[in-house]
Amino acid sequence: MSKPYKILAVGILACVLVVALTPYLWILLASFKGRLDILSPVPRWFFTPTLDNYPAVFIGKDYLPLVFNSLIISTASTVLSICVGAPAAYVFARTDFPGKEDLFFFFLTTRMAPPISIAVPLFMFFTVLGLTDTIYSVVIAHTSFNLSLVVWMMRGFFAEIPKEIDEAAMMDGRSKLGAFVRVIVPMAAPGLAATSVLCFILSWNEFLYAFILVAFEGRPLTVGIPGLITPHGTLWGQVAAVAVVATLPILVFTFLVQKHLVRGLTFGAVKG
Amino acid sequence: MAVSFREVTKRFADGTTALDRLNLEFDLGEFIVLLGPSGSGKTTACRLLAGLETPSDGRIELNGQDITSLPPRLRGIGMVFQNYALYSHKSVFENIAYPLRIRKDGAADVERRVKSIAELLQIQPYLHRKPAQLSGGQAQRVAVARALVWEPTICLMDEPLSNLDALLRLHMRTELNRLHRSLDKTFVFVTHDQEEAMTLATRIAVLKDGKLVQFDEPRAIYRRPANRFVAEFMGRPAMNTIDGTVEDGVFRAGDIVCPAECPEGPVTLGIRPEQIELAEQGAGGAMALVLDVKELIEPETLLIFQNRGNSLTIRTQRDCDGLRPGQPLGLRFPREALHYFDARTGERLR
Repeated sequence: MSKPYKILAVGILACVLVVALTPYLWILLASFKGRLDILSPVPRWFFTPTLDNYPAVFIGKDYLPLVFNSLIISTASTVLSICVGAPAAYVFARTDFPGKEDLFFFFLTTRMAPPISIAVPLFMFFTVLGLTDTIYSVVIAHTSFNLSLVVWMMRGFFAEIPKEIDEAAMMDGRSKLGAFVRVIVPMAAPGLAATSVLCFILSWNEFLYAFILVAFEGRPLTVGIPGLITPHGTLWGQVAAVAVVATLPILVFTFLVQKHLVRGLTFGAVKG
Repeated sequence: MAVSFREVTKRFADGTTALDRLNLEFDLGEFIVLLGPSGSGKTTACRLLAGLETPSDGRIELNGQDITSLPPRLRGIGMVFQNYALYSHKSVFENIAYPLRIRKDGAADVERRVKSIAELLQIQPYLHRKPAQLSGGQAQRVAVARALVWEPTICLMDEPLSNLDALLRLHMRTELNRLHRSLDKTFVFVTHDQEEAMTLATRIAVLKDGKLVQFDEPRAIYRRPANRFVAEFMGRPAMNTIDGTVEDGVFRAGDIVCPAECPEGPVTLGIRPEQIELAEQGAGGAMALVLDVKELIEPETLLIFQNRGNSLTIRTQRDCDGLRPGQPLGLRFPREALHYFDARTGERLR
């Protein structure tokens, strides 16, 4: 790469980085600011930091259980999506049957509808089942959109593994199911990891369905934030504290699997 | 008979008939080669025996037991795949040990058997490596070791050598021959390479368009091909086949004229390149043809002639330095070297 080109590339990257990171830094700083510093009309980069916001919201307002709710919802919906979606993706990758591509496209279309258009029917559906205001309804709702992601991404990963591997495992003494569970799944582990992390993040960040389906019990963190908008004003410091805590698991996960994540995403794009 | 295909037919969902009423029987301990061009059904036959495909019709028996609908793991058959199909996330040792692990063999027993087969295939130094760190030849040996370590009744090999380069292929061929002798196992080997078939097989099954064309020992297939297809498929360069007519006991096709011992009418005459003799022009029974191309393939020479637009090839060990293209040469077809095929069906006439 020539030198001016390189400078240009670095310049663009720097701009993108500033645009992407500024809001996050802003929130991070805000979570350590007192009320006066936050509401100051001129942004204050230098201020006396305070640790009050965190205990005020997580202990004072009892938001700590919401973190666990978020964890339970995201983990359960990820596990459920993988357990149901991965075998489906394997079938899409390995077998031919009439209407296969149509069915696959149908899975994708479940993600194309605007979420708000499904929200009300989903609420009525869970009302009939008596599941509204329970953590289960959110887990199932999140699984409904994560499932298509799993099928779409994992199909590409499974297709990467030659079908002779399945056959070799069967010749070595495995049943068809055994070959999938004991050989193909371990070989597709990087793909499974990337897909799981994406599912986890999507579920963790989801607001709309959770907001409509649960009001008190089983509220995740995202639904907790509007509770900090009070008639007496928005508690910006506490909002920032919740937001910072809410981004932590995603940061950790993404750093852990970023290599696989990029690989997984490009595979899905090419193969799917 | 130990293994038998009885009227086995395989039709795929897209309507192609890969195998058409195959009947084939062979004993345990044999080295059977399924030979044919692509699309002949040889791989399908192999996969049917493995249990990876189920026949549309017919039965497959192993030692008198009907195994047609038995899943692969209950058949006692091992298999080597063309692309090796090694488990990339396991070490070479674990790859070979895998069939034993599935059968829950004791750790000491696994260790002993893996070491012993690894020694036989000379892959002990690589046991701790991952498959990605192996060369093609090493990977193929690992695949063979994995297929044989649990001592299956039959070992299937689906074009195992075709991903290897030419020299390595020759080497592995010799190894497989030795392995078959020392293990006394039944090998079923699929290939489109007639030379591989000739050198490895105790018997060759030649397939074409899903049908068994000939099943016999390599020598018999070479010397008495059942039809024109087998005649041209076996041997390099291919057998010369000349379309002509027999009248009054004499075969005629352009400049080629020779006594024939077959029914009158249109006939395809076959003669192998190495069996045509060079003779003095005008000598008794010799015909004159003009040399078109000379190819030296030390220590032999290929001489190619044109006759009515068809080429005729001779393979000779004689010193051909003095011969020039364009020069007429005398040729003689020994009577015992001639094959006669039906001009229409290609079937052997005599």
